[in-house]
Amino acid sequence: MAHLEAMEQMRAVSLTVFRHRRLSAKPLVIVPLTMAGEAGAPLAAMAGTSRTAPKLLVVAQPRNRDQRFAFAADLGRIVMNYIDSHRLHRREVASRVEGPTSRYTDAPQILVPNPGGIKALIDLGRMCRYRKAEGPYPVAPVVPQLGMWLTFLAETAEQAGTSMLLPVTGMLAEHWATGQSTMEDQNLASIMGWIDPPEGLSVAQAIADAENPAVCPPAGPATSPEFDKTYLAPAIRRFDDTYARGDIAATAAAEADLRELIGEQIKPTWRLMWAAVSLLRAVPEAPRTAARFERDLASFTAYSDYQDGGGLPQRKHDGAIGAARRLSRLERAQADFEADMAFDDPLALADRRSMGEAFAGVVTGAEPDRVVTTAKNRRVPRPRITVTTYDPVRLAPGVTLISPSMPNSHKALIIASVPDGASTQILVEVTGGMGRGVVPLKGSVPVLGQHMDYLPDPGWRPTPVFPEPDSMPWTHSSPADDDPDTNPEDNAAEEWGNAD
Amino acid sequence: MKAAVDERLDGLRGSAPRLTYSARSLAALENNPRCTLRAVLDASGSDKAAIAAHAGFPTPFGQSPFAIARGNVFEALVKANGCAELIRVLRETLKLTLPEVAYQDLNDVGGNASPEVRHSRTRQLLVNTALGKSPGTLYDHPMLRLQVGGHTVFLEPDLVAFRIEDRFHVVEIKSFPIIDGRADAAQVKAATTQASAYVIALRAMLADAGIGPDAVSDTMLLVAPKDFTNSPTAAFVDARKQVATLTRQLTRIEHIGDLVSLLPEDLTFDLAIDKSGRALRPAEELAEALDQVPALYRPDCLSHCEMAFFCRSRARACASLDVLGSAVREQLGGIDTATMALGLARGELTPDADQAEMAAALRHAARLRTEVLGQADGAGATA
Repeated sequence: MAHLEAMEQMRAVSLTVFRHRRLSAKPLVIVPLTMAGEAGAPLAAMAGTSRTAPKLLVVAQPRNRDQRFAFAADLGRIVMNYIDSHRLHRREVASRVEGPTSRYTDAPQILVPNPGGIKALIDLGRMCRYRKAEGPYPVAPVVPQLGMWLTFLAETAEQAGTSMLLPVTGMLAEHWATGQSTMEDQNLASIMGWIDPPEGLSVAQAIADAENPAVCPPAGPATSPEFDKTYLAPAIRRFDDTYARGDIAATAAAEADLRELIGEQIKPTWRLMWAAVSLLRAVPEAPRTAARFERDLASFTAYSDYQDGGGLPQRKHDGAIGAARRLSRLERAQADFEADMAFDDPLALADRRSMGEAFAGVVTGAEPDRVVTTAKNRRVPRPRITVTTYDPVRLAPGVTLISPSMPNSHKALIIASVPDGASTQILVEVTGGMGRGVVPLKGSVPVLGQHMDYLPDPGWRPTPVFPEPDSMPWTHSSPADDDPDTNPEDNAAEEWGNAD
Repeated sequence: MKAAVDERLDGLRGSAPRLTYSARSLAALENNPRCTLRAVLDASGSDKAAIAAHAGFPTPFGQSPFAIARGNVFEALVKANGCAELIRVLRETLKLTLPEVAYQDLNDVGGNASPEVRHSRTRQLLVNTALGKSPGTLYDHPMLRLQVGGHTVFLEPDLVAFRIEDRFHVVEIKSFPIIDGRADAAQVKAATTQASAYVIALRAMLADAGIGPDAVSDTMLLVAPKDFTNSPTAAFVDARKQVATLTRQLTRIEHIGDLVSLLPEDLTFDLAIDKSGRALRPAEELAEALDQVPALYRPDCLSHCEMAFFCRSRARACASLDVLGSAVREQLGGIDTATMALGLARGELTPDADQAEMAAALRHAARLRTEVLGQADGAGATA
């Protein structure tokens, strides 16, 4: 619906009332660029926590392994400084599972332009995390550290509702609907053109410019082929020539040229990133974001402690159990995040109501004093209400409900749903959030005439129990489950790069 | 009948030389096969890039010189010394027990590189091998031939057709990396589709010699750089589905006449290029000609079809829901434009019988949205 309006009015319209992602007061913005055709060869990155103080890192010859890891070390120092600045203060928290424990009070947040930017960081993480500071091909100690942290952050980014590594286009698209496709929304300049076109330009002009690499250099990670051909390739060749001749002054000059060239390509994206951040900051944060941030803090602290204890790099593939665990975690997070959004945000709820996955209406019948006796011979209040809704409800009897119109602990169950002309009468039994007595607490049961919103409870589910590695059935184990450290592939991995 | 269709296609193309299909353009058939505009332009051998550019929508496609260089370097590396690296990978990574391997360079035949000569040499060698008269061999750049819509297309498996366990396998050498056993899905798919064109051509060639399709495996071998290195690794990729799809698309080309006969007699996409290479045809006239052929725009066309930007501008102009992508399109089945959808939602248009259900849903969604936004505004005003 919102997309349709956006198409008609040629401007972005809001899709949600709130911003559902935490936006750190001091995010680290990284704009990575990679070299075309090479496997995860970084070309440059611009990084920094302030719009006015970007740091530009350039690899003059991306095919050269030493330069590549020098770049990784530079970026690693920026990232690790940033992460360490969030590891200063801890605070005690009571956890139901682990008892009292402590957590850091803040967590890092890295922002990249688009999903491709995350992919670039994943590749960089994979390239760095098995490297060693000593041995035949030593790298700076910060390199493997960067690799492990990037891998950790990228793994959290897969999980819905987290905020430690995010593509800005994704955050924008979560709040604003444009009149174009999801694919085109991944172009930062284009989605920004819809939301906030540059001074004096219409949306139509802004999005046309966004696709013209001569006007808007792409936000990466790939550079425009035209740019590669006309500017980048000759500049790299000049650098190589001077480097081969051993002419130090000329090499420095060629490198400076390259930096300037790439800087010009990356700066527009840098400015757009910060413009996007301030646009997002202006959107009020959803109430439940804070609770999700607590989970980020917990996982950040846990990983940080693991690292402090000399953690090993993440393995290349999940084993059977790891994969099952991860899948269950991701599915869980997705369902929780969707429910959270609908709970907080009337527009998100409206969306689910249109699809029949939630409903709202007025209480037209009530049996507030209903009491039943449970199997354990206890008398408990089980009031029933009838909600008359005009929504196309598709929820079946037996579904547990939660409601943004009631106190948080309110729980209810659909008993029956009877269509009645254009409306539907839904008989709902309140099952929780009424206190411990036989008489429900005041205000815990909806009253006649009250407007109620209901949506399905993503529910508390027990964490699924997976077998321990040593009791895994042989059908699910494979020799590849070995410790990644012992992988012989590393030796081969080093062959590339010094050859040319 | 056939001749008449060819004449029509020639007329559509006009004075420009005919472009033949390549493995890439054949592979592209798999994307959006229902688009008439693309089908007609392809079948007539028109230069889509030139047409789109002249109509005011030049295509930004192009490959970075770095990518091209990398591709060439990697292919050379794999094939160096009679494919020594490739054989090592096949033995070590795929654990194939290969007997002695002979290597046959088919890039030219005694210095003659014409496609016809190379093709006949390829056929002679491969048929003999299939009949068991000569030993298993790697063939570097064999030349295959396929009839597409009555025209001969030469296909050059950028790589080698190879014989494992008595069947030919198409080998594709690509320079995108396989990291930890995984590669980019879109790129693998493109490579597989390209390979399936070779599978079809190879089968067609052997069929002429009375050899059944089983001689060619529909599993292709993908050879690509391992992780971040330059050393190759390999994987088998099942191309069955794509072989089937592409076969179906190829038969559809045979029926291009049905589509062409629906178009106006005098329609042409001729750019009227003069001797100095300038296109004399007025751009508006060309655009009008293009508008006569129904196109089916989808956002993913932008990544593979030269006409996509032209089609998108058309789709936008008529507020077609295609602009938003297939997810929205499917949600609003039966409704074609945003104008219509919004009209129904606001109750300004009366739905016909098919649209009644959708219209009710739209009206409901619109009401909810206004309700919420109204509340939010109200809250803002009182605050």
